[in-house]
Amino acid sequence: MKPSELETMRKSFNTVKERSSSIKDIPSIKRLTSRVQEIKKYSFDNKDELFNQALESFKRNDIEVKFAETSDDALHIIDDLLEEYDAKVIAKAKSNTLGEIGLKEHLNINIIETDLGDRILQLKKVDNKPVHPTGPASHLSVSEIAGIVNESLGVDVGPEPKEIMEVVRSDVLKRLESAGVGISGANAIAAEEGSLVMVHNEGNISIVSLKDLHIIVAGIDKIVPSLEDAISVVKLETTFATGNFVTSYMNVISGPSKTADIEKKLLKNMYGAERVVVILLDNGRSEAIEECLYCIGCGNCIVHCPVYNAVGNEFGFNNYLGGRGVAMSKFIEDDETCFNSGLYMCTLCGLCTLNCPLSIPTNEILENMRKLSTDVGFYPKAHGNIMENVRKNNSPY
Amino acid sequence: MLYFRGCTAREKQTEIQDATERLLKLAGVDYHILDDEKCCGSVLLRTGFVKEAQNQIEENTKVLKGEKILTSCAGCYKTLKEDYEGLDVMHISQLLNDLVNDNKINLKKSDMNVTYHDSCHLARHCNVFEEPRNVIESVANLVEMENIRENSLCCGAGGGVKSAYPQIADEMAKSRLSQAKQTKCEILITACPFCKRNLENDELEVLDLTEFLMKYGGVDETE
Repeated sequence: MKPSELETMRKSFNTVKERSSSIKDIPSIKRLTSRVQEIKKYSFDNKDELFNQALESFKRNDIEVKFAETSDDALHIIDDLLEEYDAKVIAKAKSNTLGEIGLKEHLNINIIETDLGDRILQLKKVDNKPVHPTGPASHLSVSEIAGIVNESLGVDVGPEPKEIMEVVRSDVLKRLESAGVGISGANAIAAEEGSLVMVHNEGNISIVSLKDLHIIVAGIDKIVPSLEDAISVVKLETTFATGNFVTSYMNVISGPSKTADIEKKLLKNMYGAERVVVILLDNGRSEAIEECLYCIGCGNCIVHCPVYNAVGNEFGFNNYLGGRGVAMSKFIEDDETCFNSGLYMCTLCGLCTLNCPLSIPTNEILENMRKLSTDVGFYPKAHGNIMENVRKNNSPY
Repeated sequence: MLYFRGCTAREKQTEIQDATERLLKLAGVDYHILDDEKCCGSVLLRTGFVKEAQNQIEENTKVLKGEKILTSCAGCYKTLKEDYEGLDVMHISQLLNDLVNDNKINLKKSDMNVTYHDSCHLARHCNVFEEPRNVIESVANLVEMENIRENSLCCGAGGGVKSAYPQIADEMAKSRLSQAKQTKCEILITACPFCKRNLENDELEVLDLTEFLMKYGGVDETE
């Protein structure tokens, strides 16, 4: 990242910090935090039962559900569906899981990001990794964004947020006119009801979910026992990510669009999707350390991480930013990816854990992973020299 | 008491060992040092060389067991306390606090404004927040930074980052120093030799707690 981008990112992060710190310690949010800690622990301890229950519930709700063990499996399922619908353009909502499987890199068809921040990054074309899970373009200034939009869309907007928003919105809507497929992630999944909960402020997920086919890709770690639990999770995520109690929209999808208003005969596709397909993704999660799977994706760890504030998204893996992302990369990919994502960039200071609503002990996790990584030969050369110094001279120097 | 200097104070920031020994003598503390002191293994543990660290732990335990151990280094303190078994260890900031409370050192308070950087090892990891502050406040006015105690910002040196990614360590030091400068302090004090090493710069004087007392505490070594 460029120094100016890091500077803008730090400013955005300070705004988020101020907002979230003013509400995260109030009694109701403290209660919510401990409730979600219990929910995530229970969900991990009962993950197999909950997975099976979710499958049953989805079927009961007429939601098609497929299991993908790897990224490739998920991409093949998506390829088949897109072929079936002869899709040329698809509407996409922001999703770390879709980033994880590399959907955009894989597909040759036109994918339109509907989230403004993601769309800006998409238009930027190069060096366009997000910097925060809910504020992907927080590192770009309004004039940089105007430049990106003008160059890519051949327009002439000034550095005015409203003007930029309107130009991007009308361009996105125009491009999506012919789209029959929408694709998104999910913030939480309720096993008992077979419901998927998605939070957003822009209303874009509603657009995605109203296409003929709505594909939802979500990690198996998103499954919690019930809808109340799922709501608790997304509310806590919102609080820590934005400093607000709720987002403007909270979509709960529990089946395709349907009506029985004419002689009680069931008809599908009234306004929303005629078909909802959920792809439950493992991709290393069943091998992952329990605490890594507690993450609810609020991004408060990276907002407070001094390393992340210094170097930006170079510290992290794909859409999974910061230390916890580095840890996940070992399970999603391998030791080498974990090393390259910044296993040794962490100072083990522990500020992430202090600021994580789930208290994920990322510094301990990374410290333990370093042991395994050095065993297989992935460690910085400087550390190898220091180790030799200690061995020979009993001093690192 | 065994003064375990730690590799940084013993070899690189020797001014800290010097100030510490002068303070111990001044307070009449009966102490000794090891001529062949060995690395405690902290750097190895944090960078994944656990087997090699275990060697250090075994070798050191033979010598350290049964001693009352004093450390200069926040990293040694945490390691001897948490990664070794059954050692009696205290950090210099804790001992100084006791010595000040028991009037074993005569300090003079001035109206100098200083700030204090909590090292991760000592503060967030081992909950030593008050002792260094008490010592500082017996000598000067403590003006706090934006992030303190358990919320303190890491200086950037820890976890092997200073050796593997020096540019990240520098960048992080700059952030911390900018918080220090915002307090308009005259001196930035730390109680960790490795933090001091990373925070040293051309604009703001950075001192270990022991050096600070020797330099600005009004101590009289001729007494």
